[in-house]
Amino acid sequence: MSTNISQTPSERLREVGLYAPGDAVLSVRDLNVRFNTENGVVHAVRGVDFDLLPGKTLGIVGESGSGKSVTSMAIMGLLPETADITGSVRYRGKELLGLSDKAMCKHRGSDIAMVFQDPLSSLTPVYTVGNQIIEALTVHNPIMSKQAKEARAVELLRMVGIPSPKDRLKAFPHEFSGGMRQRVMIAIAIANDPRILIADEPTTALDVTIQAQVLEVLHTAQEETGAAVVMITHDLGVVAGMADDIMVMYAGKPVEKGTVEDIYYNPRMPYTLGLLGAVPRVDTANKQSLVPIEGAPPNLALPVTGCSFAGRCPLVSDACLGGEPELLSVRVLANRPNTNGTDAKTAASHRAACIKAEELGGETDAHHIFRAPAKPVSKFDGVDRGEREKVLELKDVKKHFPLLKGALIKRRIGTVKAVDGLSFDIREGECLSIVGESGCGKTTTLLEIMEFHPDQQGEVVISGVSNKVATDSKTKMAMRKEMQMVFQDPTGALDPRFTVYEVLAEPLENLGMPKAAIKKRIMELMRLVGLQPDHVNRFPNQFSGGQRQRIGIARALAVNPKLVVLDEPVSALDVSVQAGVINLLDQLRAELGLSYLMVAHDLSVVRHISDRVAVMYLGKIVETGDVDEVFDNPRHPYTRALLSAIPVPDPNLERTRERIILQGDLPSPLDAPRGCNFATRCPVFAALPAAKQEKCLTLEPPLASEEAYGQEFACFFPDGEIDADMLVVHT
Amino acid sequence: MTNIIDPIAEIDESRVSDGQDVVIAKSRIIFRRFMRNRTAVAGLFVFLALFLFSLVGGFLTPWNKDTIDPYNIGMGPSPDHFLGTSQAGIDLLALIVEGTRISIFIGLIVGGVSVLVSAVYGCTMAFFGGKVDAIMLFILEALIMMPAILVVAVATSGSGGLKNLPSWLLLIVVLLFFSWMGTARLVRSLSMSLMQRDYVKAAKYMGVPSRRIVWRHLVPNIGSLLVLDFTRGITGAVLAEVAFSFIGIGIKLPDVSLGVLIGQATGQVSSFPWMFWVPLTVMFLLTGSLAMMNDGLRDAFDPSSSSIGRAKRTAVRTVKKTTK
Amino acid sequence: MLKYLMKRSGIYLVMIFLTTSAGYFLAVSSLKPAVLEQEKIPRPTPEQVAASFRGLGLDPAKNAWERYVDWLGNIVTHWDWGRSPNGASVNAEFGDRVLVSTRLFIASIILTLIIGVALGVYSAARQYKFQDRVITSYSYLVHILPAPIAYFLVQLGAISVNEAVGQRIFFVTGISTPGIDPGWPAFVDLVAHYAVPTFAMTIFGWAGYQIAQRQYLLDNVNADFVRTARAKGLTRNQAIRRHALRVSFIPVAQSIAFTIPAIFTGGFFAEAIFAWPGIGLWSIQSIGLQDVNVATATLAYGSVIFAIGAILADFATTLVDPRVRVQ
Repeated sequence: MSTNISQTPSERLREVGLYAPGDAVLSVRDLNVRFNTENGVVHAVRGVDFDLLPGKTLGIVGESGSGKSVTSMAIMGLLPETADITGSVRYRGKELLGLSDKAMCKHRGSDIAMVFQDPLSSLTPVYTVGNQIIEALTVHNPIMSKQAKEARAVELLRMVGIPSPKDRLKAFPHEFSGGMRQRVMIAIAIANDPRILIADEPTTALDVTIQAQVLEVLHTAQEETGAAVVMITHDLGVVAGMADDIMVMYAGKPVEKGTVEDIYYNPRMPYTLGLLGAVPRVDTANKQSLVPIEGAPPNLALPVTGCSFAGRCPLVSDACLGGEPELLSVRVLANRPNTNGTDAKTAASHRAACIKAEELGGETDAHHIFRAPAKPVSKFDGVDRGEREKVLELKDVKKHFPLLKGALIKRRIGTVKAVDGLSFDIREGECLSIVGESGCGKTTTLLEIMEFHPDQQGEVVISGVSNKVATDSKTKMAMRKEMQMVFQDPTGALDPRFTVYEVLAEPLENLGMPKAAIKKRIMELMRLVGLQPDHVNRFPNQFSGGQRQRIGIARALAVNPKLVVLDEPVSALDVSVQAGVINLLDQLRAELGLSYLMVAHDLSVVRHISDRVAVMYLGKIVETGDVDEVFDNPRHPYTRALLSAIPVPDPNLERTRERIILQGDLPSPLDAPRGCNFATRCPVFAALPAAKQEKCLTLEPPLASEEAYGQEFACFFPDGEIDADMLVVHT
Repeated sequence: MTNIIDPIAEIDESRVSDGQDVVIAKSRIIFRRFMRNRTAVAGLFVFLALFLFSLVGGFLTPWNKDTIDPYNIGMGPSPDHFLGTSQAGIDLLALIVEGTRISIFIGLIVGGVSVLVSAVYGCTMAFFGGKVDAIMLFILEALIMMPAILVVAVATSGSGGLKNLPSWLLLIVVLLFFSWMGTARLVRSLSMSLMQRDYVKAAKYMGVPSRRIVWRHLVPNIGSLLVLDFTRGITGAVLAEVAFSFIGIGIKLPDVSLGVLIGQATGQVSSFPWMFWVPLTVMFLLTGSLAMMNDGLRDAFDPSSSSIGRAKRTAVRTVKKTTK
Repeated sequence: MLKYLMKRSGIYLVMIFLTTSAGYFLAVSSLKPAVLEQEKIPRPTPEQVAASFRGLGLDPAKNAWERYVDWLGNIVTHWDWGRSPNGASVNAEFGDRVLVSTRLFIASIILTLIIGVALGVYSAARQYKFQDRVITSYSYLVHILPAPIAYFLVQLGAISVNEAVGQRIFFVTGISTPGIDPGWPAFVDLVAHYAVPTFAMTIFGWAGYQIAQRQYLLDNVNADFVRTARAKGLTRNQAIRRHALRVSFIPVAQSIAFTIPAIFTGGFFAEAIFAWPGIGLWSIQSIGLQDVNVATATLAYGSVIFAIGAILADFATTLVDPRVRVQ
């Protein structure tokens, strides 16, 4: 690890001193990171500057490959020795870059601590949780007594909300759920009261309800320790309520910096504008198309000439290609009347790397700039739902698995009711989404539909063909023509040994289509999903994630199905790419009159794309109806909690809104109680008087509709008070 | 959720869009990578040379393995006998040509057939699953449990009905019997994980018949494993033949093999050293060349490994992790 | 846990029964002791041979199935594994043979495991450096050298050491010198006999462990949990030592199961080359003597050793990996 040798230390010191606030806990100046790879030297971070003030939160927002995680690892000194790091990272004025691993260890874990993305692999599987927390204490407090360390570990576990912390000290990581493990990670990070806490996508791997819990724990942790927080995320919603300042990174460089208000309400860089327009909102019924950002980030193994975003920017002009724009203060604009009333001081800290920053302001409409397509209209949109044909109908479908315990001997200890009596239908031209936490049975439902086997429990009817009569391969084949599937991971869904042509030809050959017709159809499909037809001879790994997902969609459409089953179709994609795929799905549905059955955990995407929604909990639908009715007036407490857990990319709203924080994880389906199976976590149930609770515990609420509301829901007390303990408002 | 996209793949993608749109066939890439590995190419070369030697080496000497030269008994290398003669007066070169041929022959047959058996057995287990899988796995484990060496000894030393077969054929049969289980298990677990891949599911949901899925999606993906195992199997069989024949339970005279030649010579290492060291060297060349080839093949097939700049590889892997 | 071990043991018992039975049928149909009797001087009449064999329960007139039933019956009722053609009881000799083998192998099994794992860790820590290349290349070299030839080369080396010194320091064959005085001389004699075979089996035995341990450790060096440990304030080396190492032991513990039968097979060669009258040598000799009962008994022993190894491996795995502990 070398520091920038072109400057003498005193020169650098002076430069840093010039504009680093004296009280900053962390000052990063001109941080550059290069990696040697087989494809050449990748310049992953290209000049990052920021100051972190005590107790403040900085959000670093960017997509994969933007260099945000590499930045955090460089600060922590955790990059491999082969990485070339230059610039300056100062902790309370002390230079950290260039310190030996041993010297750096004095700071890691005590002054600067970090929480990583994947809680499942971040804890050592062979040591107890207590052991791992105590290790963090021992490293920095060698003289602390064993009892004191244990007491502190218990205190830490309690602080991060782990029930009966004393007993849990002896538990191993595999005995905890993902959310619980992330709490343990936070406990380890705050063990020595760090001044800086870096959280790298801490909730990305978690369910929304668990995400809300963990964000809450992070909030508490920050309050308890007074640490400054660096929050790294791709999700603009997650940081909206937490951060004081935001830095948007693109292609290894900060492209816009400012207070949250600056960034969310007054973005000056087309990339930020695009990102904000690319995320659908869960809290509005506005069904405008999303802002698509076409193209892919530049290859950082090649030198960047001109603006790194120029290749994807709709406002690009010749001047943009001349040189990389610097991150300049947009102070000049403060003189102009500002729509959001930001004062001169905040505007001074607002910097953007765009030569057109001055032309863009609060009123600029990203949809307009990025030429978002108009919302497509389907021929079915005008037709009443009751008059449309059913393309899919489920009648009391059940899927029960035996639950086996023991890693070596399997013994049956019960039955998991993964799907327990599901009935719904999908009409022509509509999109039904199934939502719920992981483990609620939504994916099992899709698989049950795709299996389409006469031995299944319950009936699946696809375009009038029931699984009960689908005994011969001919009927099955006819069904396969009506329904196709798009998978979550676009890479895994395409055989790496097939060219795109072969991928798309597979379903057509299977139908026995002649060669010439196949070729014609494939060209048609490529154009349909917005890919260049002359790319058919390429292999999937030569495409970006978004393009691969388009290939997956093209394959599903090859046989002209009526219904497309979408399993988390955009969750593996970057935000800017997501928008393009969502728009494509919207457009295809309108043009081809398709119906969709979608499973998604991202309720914003669900709200944007669906007509109807079904909320699942432990194998059952707890609420279903038109998406706007359900999302605007959720009746079931679970739906209410789920919706309130979604962070919204709107700082003012995010800071003031109430949210329901559900206690604990999704219970094991085995422990499902006799009555309402949500009672164990229900915020309404917790506040009910004992007499009423009795009803929830003994009777199973039926899925029924109520006057004045369009949706059906399964709850006895939809208007009940929410338990105060589960309600959180940040002021 | 943002990152399932491999940054390396993205770099590839941008490189492609920079201009040339060339699609190179997989087999050519593998061939190229193999040829780039010098050790592997050297191994291939040595192996081919030995193979050729075992076929046409007989023409290098007027003697054959059955002819006794009564004037040269137990003589060191001389112009008459390039490698000397045995204590029975048989030309060593002729013996070695014969022995190498038998050893390579055993290796090729056992390596080839056991790969086929393990592929069929492993795929069958993975494909049917359930009871069929459990029973076949039980048989497989029972075979692993059997000490192969005893069975070899019984089969080749017995005076029963098996006595009529030539010893090399008997050895092939027994070695085959005990050589395929490890690979079969690997094939099974690999096929099982392949069946879980989304692209196999996609084909299934398209209504593609199982036979075709196995042929188009499974077989090409376990192909590299099988090729690797073929060379490993040859090495294993050659080694087993030498070991068994060495202690006198494999190939029996009048058949000769490298193991027989080495084993026979142990008694007189000090008086007839060439009788011991020459066949031992040939065996080393044979197993060594196969091991070198195997190494190169593994590199060529494994997309994550690379025959150039290996030391940098770890750095790349960490970068991939950290950019998530 | 106990219940699990019982279940596994039960399955292995069935397997041992099947492999042993299969071995018996193979042996009974291919080993014909009567052939050897014909070479005796004076040559016994076929009637004499048949009568003597009948007395030993080796009646050549009975078919394989009848002999199997008799043989199995004796084992089940009296735990009697039969007799050799020369009349010796299998049971009587079995214990001595097992003892000799165990004495021969135990030291090298332990040494192999310790040295292999230690070298694996050492070479992983110095990946691609000179030491790693030497150690790992050696392990690959061992893979292309058949065990008996390797042992034979060690034997040659020991002989040349003896010759160079001009005194017999090492015994290259045998288990002990007959008629040696007890006490110190007996101990020296013991060491002199042990040294060469133990050395040979150890230096050609650790390769597998070394390569496996190196690979598993390297797989874990960049694991997320090592990064977490470093983020706590451990140095890279501390993090690897305390976290990656322990996790990398898990698959090594599992692999022990499959090396135990391999050691047993290697043991045949070691006993044959170094002339230790253990179970391996016994089995090879018995087959030469067309001895059905001894061959089958040693085969059964091999299967039992395998089963014990497999169960031990499961046990070791549960010790090092809390994730598979059965409550």
